[in-house]
Amino acid sequence: MARRTDRSSATLSARLMAGSALLALLVAAAFGVFIFAVRTLDDATKRERHTKAVSAETLQLERLVLDLDTGLRGFVLTGRQDLLAPWTSARAALPQSLRSFRRLASTAPAERRRADTLVTSINQYVDGYAVPVVDIARTNPDAARTEVVSQEGARELADIRSRFADFLSTENALAAARTSTAQRRSDAAIAAAIAGMIASALLIAGFGLYLARSIARPVREVAEGATRLAGGDLATRLDPQGVGEVEELTQAFNRMAERLEAGRRELEEQNKRLRESERAKSELVSVVAHELRTPLASVLGFTSVLLQREVTDEQRREYLNIIEAQARRLGALVNDFLDVQRLEEGKLSIAKELVDIGSVVREQTELFAGQSPKHLLDVSLPPTPLPVRGDSNRLAQVVANLLSNAIKYSPLGGVVRVAGKRDDDVVRVSIQDEGVGIPADLQREIFGKFVRGQATAEGIEGSGLGLAISRSLVEAHGGSIDFESTKGRGSTFWFELPTASSG
Amino acid sequence: MLCANESFRVATVEFRPRTTDSYTDACTVVTAEAEPTAAEKTVLVCEDDPNLRTLVRLALGEGYRFFEAPDGPSGLALAERTRPDLIVLDLMLPGQSGLDVLAEIRHSDELAETPVLVMSAWSYADEAALAAGADAFVPKPFDPDKLREAALELLEGDGAAD
Repeated sequence: MARRTDRSSATLSARLMAGSALLALLVAAAFGVFIFAVRTLDDATKRERHTKAVSAETLQLERLVLDLDTGLRGFVLTGRQDLLAPWTSARAALPQSLRSFRRLASTAPAERRRADTLVTSINQYVDGYAVPVVDIARTNPDAARTEVVSQEGARELADIRSRFADFLSTENALAAARTSTAQRRSDAAIAAAIAGMIASALLIAGFGLYLARSIARPVREVAEGATRLAGGDLATRLDPQGVGEVEELTQAFNRMAERLEAGRRELEEQNKRLRESERAKSELVSVVAHELRTPLASVLGFTSVLLQREVTDEQRREYLNIIEAQARRLGALVNDFLDVQRLEEGKLSIAKELVDIGSVVREQTELFAGQSPKHLLDVSLPPTPLPVRGDSNRLAQVVANLLSNAIKYSPLGGVVRVAGKRDDDVVRVSIQDEGVGIPADLQREIFGKFVRGQATAEGIEGSGLGLAISRSLVEAHGGSIDFESTKGRGSTFWFELPTASSG
Repeated sequence: MLCANESFRVATVEFRPRTTDSYTDACTVVTAEAEPTAAEKTVLVCEDDPNLRTLVRLALGEGYRFFEAPDGPSGLALAERTRPDLIVLDLMLPGQSGLDVLAEIRHSDELAETPVLVMSAWSYADEAALAAGADAFVPKPFDPDKLREAALELLEGDGAAD
C-alpha cells in the first residue's frame, strides 16, 4: 500500500511539475518571440534612420560638388574673385563631408565599394580637374575658358552626378529591401508570439480544467462526503478517482468511513448486548423473586396454620418438616443464585491446583451412598489418578450436582453408574441413572436457569440452577458437559476436562 | 406410596396418565372420596407445588370437596369432569402457563362462568390475571386467612348468583 502511495503521489506531483514546466516554457518562448519581433522592428528602424543619414550625407556631398562646380564656372568665365566664394567654402567643407560619408556608407562591403568609387571619382574631379583649372584661370583665364577644358569638366561632373544617382537609388533599394525583410520577420514573429500566447492561454485553461477535474472536484466530493458523514450517514463512500494523492485521499476517506461505521456498529452491538444483559438481569431478578416466594409461601403459610389452627401432633410434625425443608431450600436457592451471579460475572475465582478427579468422585459417591437406601451407586474408576487442573471444591460441587440429580430423578431407585476414565488428553466423568429421563422438548434448554420441567409437580426438590452452575463451572475449567437421555429410561450426564500434565 | 388406588377414581386416570406410583406425592393429587353431595361446594386446586396444594386445603378448611391437579392439561380435564364451584389456579405451571389455562376456561362452554382465583409468586401478575378473566388475585406468599376470605367471597357470590 505504502509503495503504491509513493508511486501514485509521485505521478501526480510529476504531472503537475511537467505541466507547469511546459506552460512556463511555452510562455517564455512566446515572450522570446515577442522580444525578437520588437528587436527586429527596432533594427529596421535603426537601419532606416541610417539609410536616411547616408542619403542626407550623399545629398550634402553632391551639393558641395555642385557648389565647387558653380564657383569654378563663375570664376573661370568672369575672372571675378568674389564668384569663387562657393568654391572656397565647398573645398573647405569637402574633406569633412567625405570622411563622414565614408564612415556612414560602410555597413556592407558592396556599399563601401560603391562609396569608395564615388569618393575616388570626386577626388579625381577635384584634384585632377577643378584645382588645376582654377590655378590655370588665375594665371591664364583664357586657357581655362577653352572648350576642351569646359567639356572635360562637364563630362566628369555628369559622371559624378550619375554615380550619386546610382548610389542613392541602390541605397534606397537596399533600404527598402531591408525594411521589407524586417517587416516580414517582425510580422512572422508577432504572429508566432500571438499563436504562442493563444496556445499558452488554451494550455493554461486546459491545465486549470485538469486541476479542477483531478483535484478540485474529488476534493469537493470528499468535502461533501465528510459533511454527510458528519451528519451521521456513516454508509457514505466515495468512488475512488483522480490520481496520486487525490486517489489516496478518497481511499483514506473510505477507510475512515468504514472504520467509523464499524466502530458505530460495534458500539451498537455492545449497547444491544448491554441492554440484553440488563434485560436478562432484570428478568433473572424477577425469576429469583418468584423462586424465593414459592418456598416462602410454604414457610409462611404453614407457620400461620400452626399459629392459628388447632392441629394434631402428627400434623404439627408434618408441617414443621415442610417448613424446615422449604427454609433449607430457600437457603440453598440463595447460595445457588449467588454462585450463578458470580459465575456469570466471571468473579468466581477458580483455583488451578492439581486435582485427582477420581478421588473427588469417590468422596462424593460415599457421601451420597448413605443418603438413599433405594439406590445402588456403582463406581468404576481406574487404579491410576485422573489428574486435572482446577478447584477441587468446585469440581466436587459439579459431581455432587450430577449425583444428586441422578438420585432425585430416579425416585424408584435403581443403579446409578459413576465412571471416570482417561481418554488421551481428556478426563471424562459420567453418571448414569435409570430414572425418569428428560422429555425431548426440555432437552435443549436443560442447562438453562430455573428449568425444571415437571419436577416441582412431581415433588422433586431443587432450585433449577444446579445444571446451569455445573455447566458454568465445567466451562470455567476449560471443559465441556453434555448428556444423553430417554424419557422413562434414564439419563447419562458426563463432563470432560483437559488432563493435567503430570509435570 | 401407601395410597389406595381406588381413591383416585375416574379423575386419576385422566390427569395422571403415567404410572401414578412413581411419584412420592401421587396420593395427594386427589382427595375426592365420593360423589359430591348437593350441599358440598367443590374446589379445584391447580398448583404444581404439593405443599401449597395442601396449604390451600388447610386454608379453606372443612366443608369442601377438593380436586387437585399439578398442571394445566390435567386441571382442565378435571374441571370439565367435576364442574367445580371454584378454581384456584397457579400461574407458573409446568408445560402450559396458568394464563393459558385461564383463557381456555373462559372460552369453554361449560366452565366460562366458573369463578377463578389466581395465585402467583410473580410480581405484578395481578393485572395480567384479572385482564385474562380471573375473578380474584392472591399474591404468594399468602396468609391462609386472606386466601380463605377471597375464596369464600367467590363461592358465596357464585351461590348468590345461582
